[in-house]
Amino acid sequence: MNEESTAQEQPMLEAAALTKRYEDGVLAVDNVSFTVMPGQIFAMLGGNGAGKTTTINLFLNFLEPTTGETRINGVVTHREPLKAKQHIAFVSENVMLYPNFTAIQNLDFFARLGGRTEYSKTDYRDVLLRVGLAEDVHHKRLKGFSKGMRQKCGIAIAMLKNAPAILLDEPTAGLDPQAGYDFIKLLGALRDEGKAILMSTHDIFRAREIADIIAIMNRGRLIMQRNAAELAGEDLEQLYLQYMAGSNSSPENNQPGAGPCSKQ
Amino acid sequence: MVATLIGKELKAIVQSPKFIGTFAVCAVLMFLSVYVGIREYQASVRQFETAGRLTEQRMQQQSNWFSVTSRTHRAPNPLQIFVSGLSYDIGRFSEISAEEGVKLRHSVYADDPIFAVFRFIDFAFIVQLVLSLFAILFTYDAVCGEREGGTLRLVLANAVPRAHYIFAKCAGAWLGLVVPMCVPIILSVLLVVVFNVPLDGGQWAKLLTLIGGSLLFFTFFIVAGVFISTLTRRPTVSFLLALMVWITFVLVIPRAGVLAAGQLVTVPSVAEIEGRRDGFAKAEWAKFYEQMAERWHDRNAAAEPDSTQEMDDEQMWNRMEEEQRARKEVEQTIDDFESKLAADLRRSREAQERLGLSLGRFSPAAAYQLATMSLAGTGIELKSRYEDAFNAYRERFKQFVEKKQAEDGMAGGIMITVSSEGGFNIQSSREGPGLDFSELPRYESPRTTYAAALVPAVIDFGLLAFYTILAFAGAFYRFIRYDVR
Repeated sequence: MNEESTAQEQPMLEAAALTKRYEDGVLAVDNVSFTVMPGQIFAMLGGNGAGKTTTINLFLNFLEPTTGETRINGVVTHREPLKAKQHIAFVSENVMLYPNFTAIQNLDFFARLGGRTEYSKTDYRDVLLRVGLAEDVHHKRLKGFSKGMRQKCGIAIAMLKNAPAILLDEPTAGLDPQAGYDFIKLLGALRDEGKAILMSTHDIFRAREIADIIAIMNRGRLIMQRNAAELAGEDLEQLYLQYMAGSNSSPENNQPGAGPCSKQ
Repeated sequence: MVATLIGKELKAIVQSPKFIGTFAVCAVLMFLSVYVGIREYQASVRQFETAGRLTEQRMQQQSNWFSVTSRTHRAPNPLQIFVSGLSYDIGRFSEISAEEGVKLRHSVYADDPIFAVFRFIDFAFIVQLVLSLFAILFTYDAVCGEREGGTLRLVLANAVPRAHYIFAKCAGAWLGLVVPMCVPIILSVLLVVVFNVPLDGGQWAKLLTLIGGSLLFFTFFIVAGVFISTLTRRPTVSFLLALMVWITFVLVIPRAGVLAAGQLVTVPSVAEIEGRRDGFAKAEWAKFYEQMAERWHDRNAAAEPDSTQEMDDEQMWNRMEEEQRARKEVEQTIDDFESKLAADLRRSREAQERLGLSLGRFSPAAAYQLATMSLAGTGIELKSRYEDAFNAYRERFKQFVEKKQAEDGMAGGIMITVSSEGGFNIQSSREGPGLDFSELPRYESPRTTYAAALVPAVIDFGLLAFYTILAFAGAFYRFIRYDVR
C-alpha cells in the first residue's frame, strides 16, 4: 500500500462517533470511529454480540444510527442510502443466494442490481474461474453447492459490482482451510486493485495474515485499533484475550497505535 | 432495476419445483370442470327440450278448458358451465294453472341428492378455493423467506429502493402466476367452442368479464400473500398466518355474514306463514258461517207462513246469490291476506339477504362469488327472476284459458241441452274436436342483458379492486419499515 497516496485520499469508509442503541435499550455500538482508506483491509475482531455486524448494518443503512454517522466515499449512508450503496459491495457471513438459480443466473441478477448490465456470460465465467469455482458447476443450481462454493459466488458478485468499497461480514466462517486460504488470496488481490475492505471476523489468524488494520470490538466499543506494522511480532491471540478479559477501554484507545499493549 | 427484479421473481416462480405440480393440478381441474360442465349443460338442454315436448303433448290430450294446465321449465343457461351458482338447487319447472300459484319444483339436487353431497366443482369454485390457496402458497414467504435466506440483505445492499422492490415482488408474482394460469383458462374456454355451446354476444362478454374478475380475485390473494410475508420475520409464522387469513376470508366470513343476518333479521318460516294463513282463513270462514246462520235464522223468523212457492224460489235464488257474493268476499279477503303475508315474507327475506350479503362482502371471496353469480345469472336472484317470469306467464295463460272457457261454454266439460227438435242431449267435449292451442301465449325465458348483469357485479369487482389496493398499500407500508437483518 502506498502510504503517501493514501494520506492524500479521502477515506472510502468512515464511522464517526457511531452509536446505536436499540429500542429495548441495548447499546450495540458505542461511540465507534474509524476509517478505511482505498487499498486497505480493516479487520474487526470481537466475540458474539460485540457489535461488528451492527456496525456493518449501519454502513448498509439496514439500521439508522442513534448518534454519529457512517460515510461511504463521503456520502452519509442514512441520509443518501441509495447513493452510498452505489459505492459498496457486500458479502455476508453465510452467502445464501437463490438456490433454484444457477451460479451464472445468480451472478447475472446481482450484477444487474448493482447497475452492471454490460457483462456477458464470458465475463461471468471468467470471474467464477477467478474466484476458484470450476466451470462444470457454473450452470448448476446453487442448492447443491457447499458453503465454500456459495461464498465464492458471493465474492464473485462483489467483484462484478466493481465497487470501490467491500463489506464482509465474517466471510471465512465455516470455510475449510483450503477455501479460507483461497478466499484470503482473493481479498489480497482486491486490495491490490485499490478496494477498501471492511471485514468483521472471528478468525484472528486470517485477520493477521491479510489485514492492514486490526481492531477489536467488545460490548459495542472499539477497544483496540492497530495497523499491521504495530502488530508485527505480537501474539495477536494473547492480545485479543487480554483485551477481551480487561476491556477497560478509553476513547484514546480508539486510534491506531492505541491500546493496553502499546502503553506497556 | 424494476425489470430485473420482476424478471427474477418470474424465474424464481417458474423454476420452483412446486410450480409445475400446482400448475398441473389447476390446469387439469379446470379442464375437467369445464368439460363436465359442458356435458351437464348439454344433458340439461336435452332434458329441457324433451320436457317441453311432453308438456305440449299433455296439453293436447286435455279435454276441456276448465282443467287445462301447463308446465313451464327453466331454460338451461350456458354460463352455468363456469358458475353453476344455484342452478342445481332451484326447481326446474313450475305448474301453470289458474288455480295454483307458481312454485318451482324438482331441482337437480332434490331429484339426485348424491350430487348435492359431492357438488359440481365449477370454474368459479376452482378460482375461489384452489387458485386463492395456490396464490397464498407462492407468496406467503415472498419477503420473510428472502430475509431468512439472507438474499434480502444482499439485494438491499445494492442501490435498490424499497418501493421498487415491493412493487416488483407483487408484479413478478402476478406475472409468474397469472400469465401461466391464463393458458388453461383460454384452453377451457376453447372447449366451449369445440363443443358448440351456444353463447351469444352478451354471454361472451359476461364470460370475458368473469375471467377478468377471476384474475382480479387471484391478484388479491397474490398481493395479500406478499403483505402477510411483510408482517412476520419467519416463513413458518407467515404460512400459518396466511392459512388463517385464507380460512377467514374464504370460509368463515361469508358464512358468518349469513348466520349473523339470520340472527339479526328474523324471517318467518314457511310453516309459520302457513299457520298464520290457515288461522286467518279459519277465523274468516267461522265468521262467515256464523253470519250466514244468523241471516238464515232472521230470514226464517221474518218469513210469512203463507207465502207462495214462486216467491220462495225467487227469494231462495237471491239469498244464494247474496251468499255467493259474501263467500267470494271472504275468499278475496283471505287471498289479500295471503298476498300480504307473501309480500312481508319476501321483504323480510330480501332484508335478511341484503344484510347477509353485505356482511359477507367483507370477504373478497364472497364478493367474487356474488360478482360471478350476478354475471352468470345463477345467483340468488335466479329464483325470483324465474318466479316473476312464470307469474307473468301464468297471468297471460289464465287470460287465454278464461277467454277459451267463455267461447266454449262447456262448464265441467259436459253440455246438456233440451230442445223440442233434438230432445234431451248430453254433449261431452271428448266427442268434439281437440282443444285449439294455436293462440296459446308462448313462454319466453327471462334474459338478462350484459349491462344489467354487470351493474351488481361492478360493485363486487370494485370491492375486490379496493381490497387489492389495500393489501398492496399494507405491503408497501410494512416493507418500507421492514427490518431486513
